[in-house]
Amino acid sequence: MGRFLKDFKKFFNYVVFSSKAELKSEVADSFLSWLWWFLDPLLYMLVYSFIAVVVFKSGVQYFPVFVFLGLNTWTFFSKTVKASVKLVANKKMIVTKVYIPKYMFVFEKIGVYGFKMVVSNLLVVITMIGYKVPVSWKALWVIPITLVLIVVTFGFSTIIMHFGVFVEDLLNVITVVLQLGFYLSGIFYSIESIGTKIVGRVPAPYDDLLVKLNPMALLITDLRRVLLYNSDPHWVMMLIWFFVGVVLSLIGTTIIYKFENSYVKVI
Amino acid sequence: MAENTEYAISVNDVKIRYRVFKKISLLKTILAPHKYKKTELFEAVKGVTFNVPKGQILGIVGKNGSGKSTLLKAIAGIFSPDEGVIDLHGHSVSLLSIGVGFQNKLSGRENIYLSGMLLGFNKTQIDEKLDEIIEFSELGDFIDRPVKTYSSGMYSKLAFSITAILETEIMLIDEVLSVGDAKFKKKSYEKMKSLITNADRTVVIVSHSSDTLKQLCDTILWLHEGEVKMQGACEEVLPKYEEFMS
Repeated sequence: MGRFLKDFKKFFNYVVFSSKAELKSEVADSFLSWLWWFLDPLLYMLVYSFIAVVVFKSGVQYFPVFVFLGLNTWTFFSKTVKASVKLVANKKMIVTKVYIPKYMFVFEKIGVYGFKMVVSNLLVVITMIGYKVPVSWKALWVIPITLVLIVVTFGFSTIIMHFGVFVEDLLNVITVVLQLGFYLSGIFYSIESIGTKIVGRVPAPYDDLLVKLNPMALLITDLRRVLLYNSDPHWVMMLIWFFVGVVLSLIGTTIIYKFENSYVKVI
Repeated sequence: MAENTEYAISVNDVKIRYRVFKKISLLKTILAPHKYKKTELFEAVKGVTFNVPKGQILGIVGKNGSGKSTLLKAIAGIFSPDEGVIDLHGHSVSLLSIGVGFQNKLSGRENIYLSGMLLGFNKTQIDEKLDEIIEFSELGDFIDRPVKTYSSGMYSKLAFSITAILETEIMLIDEVLSVGDAKFKKKSYEKMKSLITNADRTVVIVSHSSDTLKQLCDTILWLHEGEVKMQGACEEVLPKYEEFMS
Protein backbone atom coordinates (compact mmCIF):
# COMPACT_ATOMS: atom_id res chain seq x y z
CA MET A 1 0.00 0.00 0.00
CA GLY A 2 2.83 2.36 0.91
CA ARG A 3 4.57 1.43 -2.29
CA PHE A 4 1.39 2.09 -4.23
CA LEU A 5 1.10 5.62 -2.88
CA LYS A 6 4.77 6.34 -3.50
CA ASP A 7 4.63 5.06 -7.06
CA PHE A 8 1.35 6.80 -7.67
CA LYS A 9 2.88 10.10 -6.63
CA LYS A 10 5.97 9.51 -8.72
CA PHE A 11 4.16 8.58 -11.91
CA PHE A 12 1.05 10.70 -11.51
CA ASN A 13 2.41 13.46 -13.71
CA TYR A 14 3.28 10.99 -16.40
CA VAL A 15 -0.22 9.53 -16.29
CA VAL A 16 -1.83 12.94 -16.63
CA PHE A 17 0.55 13.98 -19.39
CA SER A 18 0.21 10.78 -21.36
CA SER A 19 -3.58 10.79 -21.07
CA LYS A 20 -3.57 14.29 -22.48
CA ALA A 21 -1.11 13.21 -25.14
CA GLU A 22 -3.36 10.35 -26.18
CA LEU A 23 -6.39 12.61 -26.40
CA LYS A 24 -4.41 15.19 -28.31
CA SER A 25 -3.08 12.71 -30.78
CA GLU A 26 -6.63 11.53 -31.38
CA VAL A 27 -7.64 15.07 -32.23
CA ALA A 28 -4.41 15.77 -34.11
CA ASP A 29 -5.47 13.75 -37.14
CA SER A 30 -8.57 15.66 -37.87
CA PHE A 31 -9.54 18.52 -35.69
CA LEU A 32 -13.18 17.55 -35.85
CA SER A 33 -12.67 14.13 -34.35
CA TRP A 34 -13.60 15.46 -30.92
CA LEU A 35 -17.06 16.03 -32.39
CA TRP A 36 -17.41 12.27 -32.34
CA TRP A 37 -17.22 12.35 -28.57
CA PHE A 38 -20.68 13.99 -28.81
CA LEU A 39 -21.93 12.36 -31.97
CA ASP A 40 -21.30 8.82 -30.73
CA PRO A 41 -23.68 8.97 -27.76
CA LEU A 42 -26.10 11.14 -29.71
CA LEU A 43 -26.46 8.67 -32.57
CA TYR A 44 -26.63 5.66 -30.28
CA MET A 45 -29.31 7.40 -28.28
CA LEU A 46 -31.35 7.75 -31.48
CA VAL A 47 -30.88 4.05 -32.21
CA TYR A 48 -32.07 3.03 -28.76
CA SER A 49 -34.93 5.49 -28.90
CA PHE A 50 -36.09 3.77 -32.03
CA ILE A 51 -35.84 0.34 -30.45
CA ALA A 52 -37.41 1.30 -27.15
CA VAL A 53 -40.11 3.67 -28.30
CA VAL A 54 -41.04 2.29 -31.70
CA VAL A 55 -40.33 -1.43 -31.36
CA PHE A 56 -41.03 -2.06 -27.69
CA LYS A 57 -43.46 0.81 -27.25
CA SER A 58 -42.00 1.79 -23.91
CA GLY A 59 -41.97 5.36 -22.85
CA VAL A 60 -39.66 6.59 -20.16
CA GLN A 61 -39.72 10.11 -18.85
CA TYR A 62 -36.78 12.17 -20.16
CA PHE A 63 -35.78 9.25 -22.35
CA PRO A 64 -32.80 10.89 -24.14
CA VAL A 65 -31.16 11.91 -20.84
CA PHE A 66 -32.01 8.51 -19.44
CA VAL A 67 -30.12 6.84 -22.30
CA PHE A 68 -27.19 9.28 -22.29
CA LEU A 69 -26.53 8.63 -18.61
CA GLY A 70 -26.56 4.89 -19.11
CA LEU A 71 -24.57 4.97 -22.29
CA ASN A 72 -21.83 7.35 -21.17
CA THR A 73 -21.29 5.50 -17.92
CA TRP A 74 -21.27 2.13 -19.61
CA THR A 75 -18.94 3.30 -22.38
CA PHE A 76 -16.42 4.53 -19.83
CA PHE A 77 -16.45 1.22 -18.00
CA SER A 78 -16.46 -1.10 -20.99
CA LYS A 79 -13.83 0.79 -22.99
CA THR A 80 -11.45 0.89 -20.06
CA VAL A 81 -11.93 -2.80 -19.32
CA LYS A 82 -11.58 -3.77 -22.96
CA ALA A 83 -8.47 -1.65 -23.44
CA SER A 84 -6.90 -3.31 -20.40
CA VAL A 85 -6.87 -6.76 -21.94
CA LYS A 86 -4.04 -6.06 -24.38
CA LEU A 87 -2.67 -3.04 -22.58
CA VAL A 88 0.71 -4.43 -21.59
CA ALA A 89 1.38 -5.83 -25.04
CA ASN A 90 0.37 -2.53 -26.63
CA LYS A 91 2.82 -0.68 -24.42
CA LYS A 92 5.64 -2.98 -25.36
CA MET A 93 7.87 -0.09 -26.36
CA ILE A 94 7.69 1.25 -22.82
CA VAL A 95 7.52 -1.99 -20.88
CA THR A 96 10.74 -3.35 -22.37
CA LYS A 97 12.70 -0.18 -21.74
CA VAL A 98 11.84 1.43 -18.44
CA TYR A 99 10.24 0.42 -15.20
CA ILE A 100 6.78 1.72 -14.59
CA PRO A 101 4.17 0.11 -12.34
CA LYS A 102 1.96 -1.43 -15.00
CA TYR A 103 -1.34 -0.44 -13.42
CA MET A 104 -0.37 3.13 -14.28
CA PHE A 105 -1.47 2.27 -17.81
CA VAL A 106 -4.94 1.57 -16.42
CA PHE A 107 -4.96 5.00 -14.80
CA GLU A 108 -3.96 6.45 -18.15
CA LYS A 109 -6.95 4.77 -19.82
CA ILE A 110 -9.22 5.93 -17.01
CA GLY A 111 -7.94 9.44 -17.69
CA VAL A 112 -8.63 9.18 -21.42
CA TYR A 113 -12.07 7.59 -21.22
CA GLY A 114 -12.97 9.60 -18.13
CA PHE A 115 -12.33 12.81 -20.01
CA LYS A 116 -14.46 11.60 -22.90
CA MET A 117 -17.20 10.68 -20.46
CA VAL A 118 -17.14 14.19 -19.02
CA VAL A 119 -17.35 15.68 -22.50
CA SER A 120 -20.24 13.48 -23.55
CA ASN A 121 -21.99 14.16 -20.26
CA LEU A 122 -22.32 17.74 -21.45
CA LEU A 123 -25.09 16.22 -23.54
CA VAL A 124 -26.76 15.18 -20.32
CA VAL A 125 -26.57 18.69 -18.96
CA ILE A 126 -27.86 20.21 -22.19
CA THR A 127 -30.79 17.81 -22.53
CA MET A 128 -31.63 18.20 -18.84
CA ILE A 129 -31.86 21.93 -19.34
CA GLY A 130 -33.90 21.35 -22.49
CA TYR A 131 -36.40 19.17 -20.60
CA LYS A 132 -36.33 21.54 -17.61
CA VAL A 133 -35.67 18.58 -15.32
CA PRO A 134 -36.07 19.74 -11.71
CA VAL A 135 -32.78 19.17 -9.92
CA SER A 136 -32.58 18.79 -6.16
CA TRP A 137 -29.65 18.62 -3.76
CA LYS A 138 -29.72 14.87 -4.37
CA ALA A 139 -27.80 15.55 -7.55
CA LEU A 140 -24.72 15.87 -5.36
CA TRP A 141 -24.78 12.09 -5.09
CA VAL A 142 -23.14 12.17 -8.52
CA ILE A 143 -19.79 12.71 -6.83
CA PRO A 144 -19.71 9.57 -4.65
CA ILE A 145 -21.31 7.56 -7.48
CA THR A 146 -18.52 8.62 -9.84
CA LEU A 147 -15.95 7.69 -7.24
CA VAL A 148 -17.41 4.20 -6.91
CA LEU A 149 -17.46 3.94 -10.71
CA ILE A 150 -13.75 4.74 -10.91
CA VAL A 151 -12.76 2.39 -8.11
CA VAL A 152 -14.79 -0.50 -9.52
CA THR A 153 -13.48 0.12 -13.04
CA PHE A 154 -9.89 0.24 -11.81
CA GLY A 155 -10.35 -2.95 -9.80
CA PHE A 156 -11.74 -4.96 -12.69
CA SER A 157 -9.31 -3.51 -15.21
CA THR A 158 -6.12 -4.22 -13.26
CA ILE A 159 -7.06 -7.87 -12.73
CA ILE A 160 -8.06 -8.26 -16.37
CA MET A 161 -4.87 -6.56 -17.52
CA HIS A 162 -2.80 -9.07 -15.60
CA PHE A 163 -4.52 -12.08 -17.10
CA GLY A 164 -4.56 -10.44 -20.52
CA VAL A 165 -0.79 -10.76 -20.60
CA PHE A 166 -0.88 -14.53 -20.34
CA VAL A 167 -4.19 -15.56 -21.84
CA GLU A 168 -4.21 -14.90 -25.53
CA ASP A 169 -7.91 -15.33 -26.23
CA LEU A 170 -9.08 -13.36 -23.20
CA LEU A 171 -10.23 -10.55 -25.46
CA ASN A 172 -12.81 -12.82 -27.11
CA VAL A 173 -14.20 -13.82 -23.75
CA ILE A 174 -14.24 -10.28 -22.37
CA THR A 175 -16.00 -8.97 -25.47
CA VAL A 176 -18.85 -11.44 -25.02
CA VAL A 177 -19.07 -10.83 -21.28
CA LEU A 178 -19.19 -7.07 -21.87
CA GLN A 179 -21.92 -7.54 -24.43
CA LEU A 180 -23.92 -9.45 -21.84
CA GLY A 181 -23.13 -6.77 -19.28
CA PHE A 182 -24.42 -4.14 -21.67
CA TYR A 183 -27.84 -5.78 -21.85
CA LEU A 184 -27.92 -6.49 -18.13
CA SER A 185 -27.13 -2.93 -17.13
CA GLY A 186 -30.31 -1.33 -18.37
CA ILE A 187 -28.79 1.15 -20.77
CA PHE A 188 -31.98 1.73 -22.75
CA TYR A 189 -34.56 0.35 -20.36
CA SER A 190 -35.16 0.64 -16.66
CA ILE A 191 -34.41 -2.48 -14.65
CA GLU A 192 -36.47 -1.48 -11.63
CA SER A 193 -39.42 0.80 -11.12
CA ILE A 194 -38.54 4.25 -9.91
CA GLY A 195 -41.35 6.16 -8.23
CA THR A 196 -44.64 5.83 -10.04
CA LYS A 197 -43.54 7.09 -13.42
CA ILE A 198 -40.78 4.66 -14.37
CA VAL A 199 -41.88 1.08 -14.88
CA GLY A 200 -39.24 -1.59 -14.42
CA ARG A 201 -38.84 -4.05 -17.27
CA VAL A 202 -37.30 -6.86 -15.24
CA PRO A 203 -39.78 -8.88 -13.13
CA ALA A 204 -39.27 -9.19 -9.38
CA PRO A 205 -37.21 -10.51 -7.71
CA TYR A 206 -34.69 -10.38 -10.55
CA ASP A 207 -34.79 -6.60 -10.82
CA ASP A 208 -33.55 -6.23 -7.28
CA LEU A 209 -30.91 -8.92 -7.71
CA LEU A 210 -29.65 -7.41 -10.93
CA VAL A 211 -29.27 -3.96 -9.46
CA LYS A 212 -27.48 -5.32 -6.43
CA LEU A 213 -25.18 -7.79 -8.12
CA ASN A 214 -24.28 -5.87 -11.26
CA PRO A 215 -22.31 -2.80 -10.19
CA MET A 216 -22.90 -1.07 -13.51
CA ALA A 217 -26.67 -1.55 -13.24
CA LEU A 218 -26.48 -0.13 -9.74
CA LEU A 219 -24.42 2.90 -10.72
CA ILE A 220 -26.49 3.71 -13.78
CA THR A 221 -29.80 3.27 -11.97
CA ASP A 222 -28.63 5.45 -9.12
CA LEU A 223 -27.33 8.17 -11.41
CA ARG A 224 -30.78 8.35 -12.96
CA ARG A 225 -32.50 8.28 -9.60
CA VAL A 226 -30.54 11.20 -8.19
CA LEU A 227 -30.37 13.32 -11.33
CA LEU A 228 -33.70 12.77 -13.03
CA TYR A 229 -36.26 11.33 -10.66
CA ASN A 230 -35.40 12.99 -7.38
CA SER A 231 -35.09 9.71 -5.47
CA ASP A 232 -32.43 8.37 -3.16
CA PRO A 233 -29.69 6.04 -4.38
CA HIS A 234 -29.17 2.55 -2.94
CA TRP A 235 -26.50 3.96 -0.72
CA VAL A 236 -25.87 0.80 1.28
CA MET A 237 -25.22 -1.17 -1.89
CA MET A 238 -23.13 1.72 -3.12
CA LEU A 239 -20.98 1.51 -0.01
CA ILE A 240 -20.66 -2.25 -0.38
CA TRP A 241 -19.58 -1.92 -4.01
CA PHE A 242 -17.11 0.76 -3.02
CA PHE A 243 -15.45 -1.70 -0.67
CA VAL A 244 -15.62 -4.50 -3.21
CA GLY A 245 -13.96 -2.12 -5.68
CA VAL A 246 -11.23 -1.29 -3.19
CA VAL A 247 -10.61 -4.96 -2.50
CA LEU A 248 -10.48 -5.75 -6.24
CA SER A 249 -8.05 -2.87 -6.73
CA LEU A 250 -5.86 -4.15 -3.91
CA ILE A 251 -5.86 -7.64 -5.38
CA GLY A 252 -5.14 -6.23 -8.83
CA THR A 253 -2.24 -4.02 -7.81
CA THR A 254 -0.79 -6.74 -5.60
CA ILE A 255 -0.73 -9.34 -8.35
CA ILE A 256 0.66 -6.76 -10.77
CA TYR A 257 3.48 -5.92 -8.36
CA LYS A 258 4.16 -9.57 -7.91
CA PHE A 259 4.17 -10.61 -11.55
CA GLU A 260 4.89 -7.49 -13.58
CA ASN A 261 8.55 -8.34 -13.89
CA SER A 262 7.71 -11.45 -15.82
CA TYR A 263 5.47 -9.58 -18.27
CA VAL A 264 8.52 -8.54 -20.29
CA LYS A 265 9.45 -12.17 -20.66
CA VAL A 266 6.08 -13.05 -22.18
CA ILE A 267 5.28 -10.27 -24.61
CA MET B 1 41.08 -1.05 -4.67
CA ALA B 2 40.72 0.81 -1.39
CA GLU B 3 38.95 -0.93 1.45
CA ASN B 4 36.15 1.57 1.78
CA THR B 5 35.22 1.86 -1.86
CA GLU B 6 31.80 3.33 -2.36
CA TYR B 7 29.82 1.06 -4.61
CA ALA B 8 27.16 2.27 -6.97
CA ILE B 9 25.99 -1.12 -8.15
CA SER B 10 26.19 -4.34 -6.20
CA VAL B 11 25.06 -7.47 -7.92
CA ASN B 12 25.02 -10.47 -5.65
CA ASP B 13 24.54 -14.01 -6.90
CA VAL B 14 21.87 -12.99 -9.34
CA LYS B 15 19.94 -15.62 -11.22
CA ILE B 16 17.40 -14.76 -13.85
CA ARG B 17 15.16 -17.36 -15.33
CA TYR B 18 12.85 -17.17 -18.21
CA ARG B 19 10.02 -19.42 -17.33
CA VAL B 20 8.97 -20.07 -20.83
CA PHE B 21 5.51 -18.82 -20.02
CA LYS B 22 3.85 -19.88 -23.16
CA LYS B 23 0.79 -17.82 -23.69
CA ILE B 24 -2.24 -19.87 -22.86
CA SER B 25 -5.53 -19.92 -24.61
CA LEU B 26 -8.72 -20.63 -22.73
CA LEU B 27 -10.17 -22.49 -25.66
CA LYS B 28 -7.14 -24.71 -26.09
CA THR B 29 -6.99 -25.39 -22.36
CA ILE B 30 -10.52 -26.69 -22.47
CA LEU B 31 -10.13 -28.64 -25.69
CA ALA B 32 -6.57 -29.90 -25.31
CA PRO B 33 -5.46 -29.60 -21.69
CA HIS B 34 -2.62 -32.12 -21.98
CA LYS B 35 -0.59 -29.69 -24.03
CA TYR B 36 0.10 -27.45 -21.06
CA LYS B 37 1.81 -29.82 -18.72
CA LYS B 38 5.37 -28.68 -19.20
CA THR B 39 6.71 -25.30 -18.32
CA GLU B 40 10.21 -25.01 -19.61
CA LEU B 41 12.69 -23.18 -17.49
CA PHE B 42 15.55 -21.38 -19.08
CA GLU B 43 18.20 -19.75 -16.96
CA ALA B 44 19.72 -16.76 -18.74
CA VAL B 45 21.86 -15.51 -15.88
CA LYS B 46 23.26 -18.20 -13.58
CA GLY B 47 24.50 -16.63 -10.40
CA VAL B 48 26.49 -13.55 -11.27
CA THR B 49 28.25 -11.46 -8.64
CA PHE B 50 30.08 -8.21 -9.15
CA ASN B 51 30.37 -4.68 -7.78
CA VAL B 52 30.84 -1.46 -9.62
CA PRO B 53 32.45 1.34 -7.61
CA LYS B 54 30.97 4.77 -7.98
CA GLY B 55 32.27 6.63 -10.99
CA GLN B 56 33.59 3.55 -12.70
CA ILE B 57 32.90 2.40 -16.22
CA LEU B 58 32.23 -1.27 -16.63
CA GLY B 59 32.08 -2.96 -19.99
CA ILE B 60 30.24 -6.24 -20.41
CA VAL B 61 31.26 -8.54 -23.23
CA GLY B 62 30.08 -11.95 -24.27
CA LYS B 63 28.70 -13.74 -27.26
CA ASN B 64 25.08 -13.48 -28.27
CA GLY B 65 22.76 -15.07 -25.74
CA SER B 66 25.23 -14.92 -22.88
CA GLY B 67 22.82 -12.94 -20.74
CA LYS B 68 24.34 -9.47 -21.14
CA SER B 69 21.18 -7.60 -22.05
CA THR B 70 19.14 -9.56 -19.55
CA LEU B 71 21.50 -8.53 -16.80
CA LEU B 72 21.41 -4.94 -17.94
CA LYS B 73 17.63 -4.92 -17.90
CA ALA B 74 17.63 -6.39 -14.43
CA ILE B 75 19.95 -3.60 -13.22
CA ALA B 76 17.63 -1.07 -14.83
CA GLY B 77 14.76 -2.57 -12.83
CA ILE B 78 12.77 -3.66 -15.85
CA PHE B 79 12.54 -7.06 -14.33
CA SER B 80 13.64 -8.39 -11.01
CA PRO B 81 16.06 -11.29 -10.54
CA ASP B 82 14.56 -14.61 -9.54
CA GLU B 83 17.31 -15.07 -6.99
CA GLY B 84 19.95 -12.81 -5.60
CA VAL B 85 20.02 -9.10 -4.97
CA ILE B 86 20.80 -6.04 -7.05
CA ASP B 87 21.47 -2.99 -4.95
CA LEU B 88 21.89 0.41 -6.57
CA HIS B 89 22.48 2.12 -3.22
CA GLY B 90 19.78 4.63 -3.96
CA HIS B 91 21.20 5.96 -7.22
CA SER B 92 18.98 6.93 -10.10
CA VAL B 93 19.33 4.75 -13.13
CA SER B 94 18.36 4.80 -16.77
CA LEU B 95 18.82 2.46 -19.66
CA LEU B 96 19.91 4.51 -22.60
CA SER B 97 17.48 3.48 -25.24
CA ILE B 98 15.90 4.85 -28.32
CA GLY B 99 12.49 6.47 -28.37
CA VAL B 100 10.80 5.43 -25.16
CA GLY B 101 7.06 5.87 -25.41
CA PHE B 102 6.95 8.24 -28.35
CA GLN B 103 3.52 9.25 -29.58
CA ASN B 104 3.90 9.62 -33.31
CA LYS B 105 1.15 12.12 -33.81
CA LEU B 106 2.49 14.59 -31.29
CA SER B 107 5.25 17.13 -31.73
CA GLY B 108 8.84 16.47 -30.81
CA ARG B 109 8.56 18.93 -27.96
CA GLU B 110 5.66 17.07 -26.37
CA ASN B 111 7.47 13.81 -26.81
CA ILE B 112 10.44 15.16 -24.89
CA TYR B 113 8.11 15.62 -21.91
CA LEU B 114 6.54 12.24 -22.42
CA SER B 115 9.85 10.38 -22.52
CA GLY B 116 11.35 12.46 -19.77
CA MET B 117 8.49 11.78 -17.38
CA LEU B 118 8.68 8.11 -18.20
CA LEU B 119 12.34 8.20 -17.22
CA GLY B 120 11.26 9.56 -13.86
CA PHE B 121 11.90 13.29 -14.26
CA ASN B 122 9.34 15.88 -13.30
CA LYS B 123 8.16 18.75 -15.44
CA THR B 124 10.42 21.42 -13.95
CA GLN B 125 13.50 19.25 -14.44
CA ILE B 126 12.56 18.75 -18.06
CA ASP B 127 11.77 22.44 -18.53
CA GLU B 128 15.30 23.25 -17.44
CA LYS B 129 16.84 20.91 -19.95
CA LEU B 130 14.39 21.46 -22.77
CA ASP B 131 16.39 24.00 -24.73
CA GLU B 132 19.55 21.98 -24.41
CA ILE B 133 17.80 18.89 -25.73
CA ILE B 134 16.30 20.73 -28.68
CA GLU B 135 19.62 22.34 -29.51
CA PHE B 136 21.52 19.10 -29.27
CA SER B 137 19.03 17.28 -31.45
CA GLU B 138 19.59 19.81 -34.28
CA LEU B 139 15.93 19.53 -35.23
CA GLY B 140 15.26 23.25 -35.45
CA ASP B 141 11.69 24.01 -36.45
CA PHE B 142 10.86 20.36 -36.77
CA ILE B 143 10.64 20.14 -32.99
CA ASP B 144 7.09 21.47 -33.18
CA ARG B 145 5.99 19.13 -35.93
CA PRO B 146 4.57 15.67 -35.32
CA VAL B 147 7.17 12.98 -34.84
CA LYS B 148 5.61 10.91 -37.62
CA THR B 149 6.86 13.47 -40.14
CA TYR B 150 10.46 12.87 -39.06
CA SER B 151 12.98 10.93 -41.05
CA SER B 152 14.40 7.95 -39.21
CA GLY B 153 17.61 9.87 -38.64
CA MET B 154 15.78 12.78 -37.05
CA TYR B 155 13.79 10.40 -34.92
CA SER B 156 16.86 8.78 -33.45
CA LYS B 157 18.60 12.12 -33.02
CA LEU B 158 15.74 13.30 -30.85
CA ALA B 159 15.61 10.08 -28.90
CA PHE B 160 19.34 10.14 -28.29
CA SER B 161 19.28 13.77 -27.19
CA ILE B 162 16.56 13.08 -24.63
CA THR B 163 18.35 10.25 -22.93
CA ALA B 164 21.78 11.82 -23.20
CA ILE B 165 20.83 15.16 -21.76
CA LEU B 166 18.45 14.01 -19.06
CA GLU B 167 21.29 12.35 -17.21
CA THR B 168 21.04 9.93 -14.32
CA GLU B 169 23.68 8.83 -11.83
CA ILE B 170 23.93 5.38 -13.30
CA MET B 171 23.71 4.96 -17.05
CA LEU B 172 23.25 1.63 -18.71
CA ILE B 173 24.12 1.45 -22.36
CA ASP B 174 23.19 -1.45 -24.58
CA GLU B 175 25.51 -1.15 -27.55
CA VAL B 176 27.09 2.25 -27.94
CA LEU B 177 24.63 4.20 -29.95
CA SER B 178 25.69 5.80 -33.11
CA VAL B 179 22.83 7.53 -34.81
CA GLY B 180 22.18 10.07 -37.50
CA ASP B 181 24.51 11.29 -40.20
CA ALA B 182 28.29 11.28 -39.94
CA LYS B 183 28.41 14.63 -38.24
CA PHE B 184 25.81 13.77 -35.62
CA LYS B 185 27.43 10.40 -35.09
CA LYS B 186 30.66 12.05 -34.17
CA LYS B 187 28.90 14.54 -31.96
CA SER B 188 26.83 11.90 -30.19
CA TYR B 189 29.89 9.77 -29.66
CA GLU B 190 31.70 12.74 -28.11
CA LYS B 191 28.66 13.44 -25.94
CA MET B 192 28.55 9.84 -24.82
CA LYS B 193 32.20 9.98 -24.02
CA SER B 194 31.84 13.10 -21.93
CA LEU B 195 28.81 11.60 -20.17
CA ILE B 196 30.63 8.42 -19.52
CA THR B 197 33.86 9.93 -18.32
CA ASN B 198 32.14 12.24 -15.85
CA ALA B 199 33.77 11.22 -12.57
CA ASP B 200 30.49 11.02 -10.65
CA ARG B 201 28.73 8.82 -13.11
CA THR B 202 28.73 5.09 -13.01
CA VAL B 203 28.31 3.46 -16.37
CA VAL B 204 27.71 -0.04 -17.60
CA ILE B 205 28.19 -0.63 -21.30
CA VAL B 206 27.28 -3.74 -23.20
CA SER B 207 29.05 -3.98 -26.51
CA HIS B 208 30.52 -6.29 -29.08
CA SER B 209 33.12 -3.82 -30.18
CA SER B 210 36.39 -4.30 -28.33
CA ASP B 211 37.66 -1.02 -29.71
CA THR B 212 34.94 1.07 -28.12
CA LEU B 213 35.25 -0.75 -24.84
CA LYS B 214 39.02 -0.33 -24.82
CA GLN B 215 38.58 3.39 -25.26
CA LEU B 216 35.83 3.88 -22.72
CA CYS B 217 35.98 1.31 -19.97
CA ASP B 218 37.93 0.85 -16.78
CA THR B 219 37.09 -2.77 -16.21
CA ILE B 220 35.52 -5.54 -18.20
CA LEU B 221 33.16 -8.28 -17.19
CA TRP B 222 33.07 -11.24 -19.52
CA LEU B 223 29.88 -13.23 -19.40
CA HIS B 224 29.72 -16.66 -20.91
CA GLU B 225 26.46 -18.57 -20.96
CA GLY B 226 25.10 -16.75 -17.97
CA GLU B 227 28.20 -17.00 -15.83
CA VAL B 228 31.14 -14.73 -15.19
CA LYS B 229 34.05 -16.09 -17.17
CA MET B 230 36.50 -13.35 -16.34
CA GLN B 231 36.58 -9.97 -14.71
CA GLY B 232 39.37 -7.44 -14.62
CA ALA B 233 41.15 -4.61 -16.34
CA CYS B 234 40.62 -4.06 -20.06
CA GLU B 235 44.12 -5.08 -21.06
CA GLU B 236 43.73 -8.33 -19.21
CA VAL B 237 40.31 -9.45 -20.32
CA LEU B 238 39.83 -8.12 -23.81
CA PRO B 239 42.73 -9.94 -25.51
CA LYS B 240 41.59 -13.24 -24.04
CA TYR B 241 38.05 -12.56 -25.11
CA GLU B 242 39.14 -11.76 -28.64
CA GLU B 243 41.21 -14.88 -28.73
CA PHE B 244 38.28 -16.92 -27.51
CA MET B 245 35.94 -15.47 -30.07
CA SER B 246 38.19 -15.86 -33.06
